Amino acid sequence: MTEIDDLRSAVRDFLTDNAPVRSNLEDNPSTWKRLSSEMGLTSLPVEDAPLSWLAAVIEETGRVLLRQPYLPTVVAATALKAAGDEQHLAGLADGSLTAALALDGDLTQVPHGLEAGIVLVAKGDELWVCEETAVEPLETLDLTRPAARIQVSAGRHVGSALHARDLEHISYAAESVGAAQRVLELVVEHLLVRTQFGRPLGSFQALRHKVADLTVLLEAARSSTWYAAGEPEDFAVAAPLARALASEAFVTVTGEAIQLFGGIGFTWEHDAHLFFKRAWTTALATDSKALKKLAFDRSGA
Amino acid sequence: MTFRDEVASWLAEHLTGRFAPLVGTGGPGREHENVELRREWEKELATGRWIGIAWPREVGGRGCSIEEQVVFYEEYAKAGGPARINHLGEQLAGPTIIAFGTQEQKDRFLPGILAGTELWCQGYSEPNAGSDLAGVRTKASLVDGEWHVDGQKTWTSLAHLAHWCFVIARTDPSSSRHKGLSFLLVPMDQPGIEVRPIIQLTGTSEFNEVFFDDAVTASDNVVGEPGDGWKVAMGLLAFERGVSTLGQQVGFTREYADVVELARANGTFERYEAELVDAWASLQVLKHQALRTLNTDQATSNGVEANVNKLLWAPWHKKLGELAMKVSGSAAMLTDGELTPLQNLFLFTRSDTIYGGSSEIQRNVIAERLWKLPRDTWTAT
Repeated sequence: MTEIDDLRSAVRDFLTDNAPVRSNLEDNPSTWKRLSSEMGLTSLPVEDAPLSWLAAVIEETGRVLLRQPYLPTVVAATALKAAGDEQHLAGLADGSLTAALALDGDLTQVPHGLEAGIVLVAKGDELWVCEETAVEPLETLDLTRPAARIQVSAGRHVGSALHARDLEHISYAAESVGAAQRVLELVVEHLLVRTQFGRPLGSFQALRHKVADLTVLLEAARSSTWYAAGEPEDFAVAAPLARALASEAFVTVTGEAIQLFGGIGFTWEHDAHLFFKRAWTTALATDSKALKKLAFDRSGA
Repeated sequence: MTFRDEVASWLAEHLTGRFAPLVGTGGPGREHENVELRREWEKELATGRWIGIAWPREVGGRGCSIEEQVVFYEEYAKAGGPARINHLGEQLAGPTIIAFGTQEQKDRFLPGILAGTELWCQGYSEPNAGSDLAGVRTKASLVDGEWHVDGQKTWTSLAHLAHWCFVIARTDPSSSRHKGLSFLLVPMDQPGIEVRPIIQLTGTSEFNEVFFDDAVTASDNVVGEPGDGWKVAMGLLAFERGVSTLGQQVGFTREYADVVELARANGTFERYEAELVDAWASLQVLKHQALRTLNTDQATSNGVEANVNKLLWAPWHKKLGELAMKVSGSAAMLTDGELTPLQNLFLFTRSDTIYGGSSEIQRNVIAERLWKLPRDTWTAT
């Protein structure tokens, strides 16, 4: 076991106990407090933890569909630190300040925009740090990720938005991989327990092969995500590529999961739809085809 | 000089002159190319001690680290090194003998592989034991200090060139399935063995049927104990860390580049852009997956990395062959007597999802080994 595995399992234990999937249908401020001050997870960027650690934590937050703004807050801290802008780092590190990301420049529906202390806004390819001046909460299809229509202050230009976007890409990739992994685990649990025609569903080859295909899709996305999270030389190629693959895998896995769960997966009480909605809304925030093309062009292939 | 420089400069100095025609030749679907010269090349590699680089030093290898092996495969592929004519000796027979063989077997067989003078083939598949390898029927019995082998193997790559064959044979006639099998080393040059080529749908041949009709081998040419053949054969899989797949990927990259180049040249790039970009993306995934596998140790392994790898590259490669045809357009309808490299890619890749464990078998393994899903309950009684 390496340090990253220890971190992963500590975070998993914490989130399983404190933020199980269903709890994320509602806000729970104490979770954020414990996650930041007790677990110290928001301070990772400031403590120079490798990006792979952040990605590992975000993967774990994906498993429970964490409602709290962990992803945008640590992406903001990492991006600001990389840009040499220290003003907000202390607040972001101790969790007293949260961030939202509008790196596509769209302020009409900003994930986690409701109570963000700062907003990273892209104007063209420039990165600006702004504060919210008006906030209007939105009803969302994804019941575990709140969003808001916001207006922001003029703000401050802090550098290029390109790297910040790549950090956002790798983070969403990690979240998608973690969530898809959890769904697949739940599917397999179901296939082992549920019997029809006198045998466990998991003994039917049509279902076994479906699970194997989803596994391959997910493992591929995971490999690319972990590769990018290792900050290789071609990070700017690997990050958007990882997001595209993870997005597609998340969508496919959650869609097929509802099929594999059968009728139970179509019910409100089951978690399948929560993952399915998270998958689609995460994927719809970008265009995986365009991300692949971006990566392709950047690679010079 | 770094290891990378050492490899690169040796290749630059030797893969030239009379060996120049070898650049980029051989390999799955192209094993019929430059056979004689590739045999010479294997001996040339031996002079540079480039055979068995992963083998321990005490048996004559270089004891290279995984990182060094990766470097070697990358540089070898970058230089366009030809497919190795004795990969079955270096990658399978040798490592098996190192792991399970006696000192006498090591002394007898390893030097020939390291010198590039003794070539090997693999006697696993049979007409009725393909995906279900445990169904082998080839039998062997010990009579007067010799194993007598009877039966038929098939899909035996390079059997027509090999000096030795490692054969899985049933040595306990009362046994079934995985039990009672032995791992025998059988010399190919004898009256009891007949090799017949299989002509593939590419029109070329690299596989054979091998008929054993009272073929013989010495009693001590069994690796491991008689009856432990399955364990010995499968033990090998544990050594396969997928290092060589990185070299394979350099080949894939070259094939992909050829397809893109053609698309740009004949004006079809825009029409097939989405597919070409997708193929590129999946090629990156192959690299990422291989690197992750290499960085995985026993403790963090999910046990199915190799199966996932296969299910990623084989269908990808097949699709690349199809894409190559679409990009070629109607020009691909004509052959000029011989298949073009892209036509060969298109046709040969139909086998990628069959050999080395079919895609269906890989899926079963993932379902069972990773997810512990129960086996299909129908079994022959």
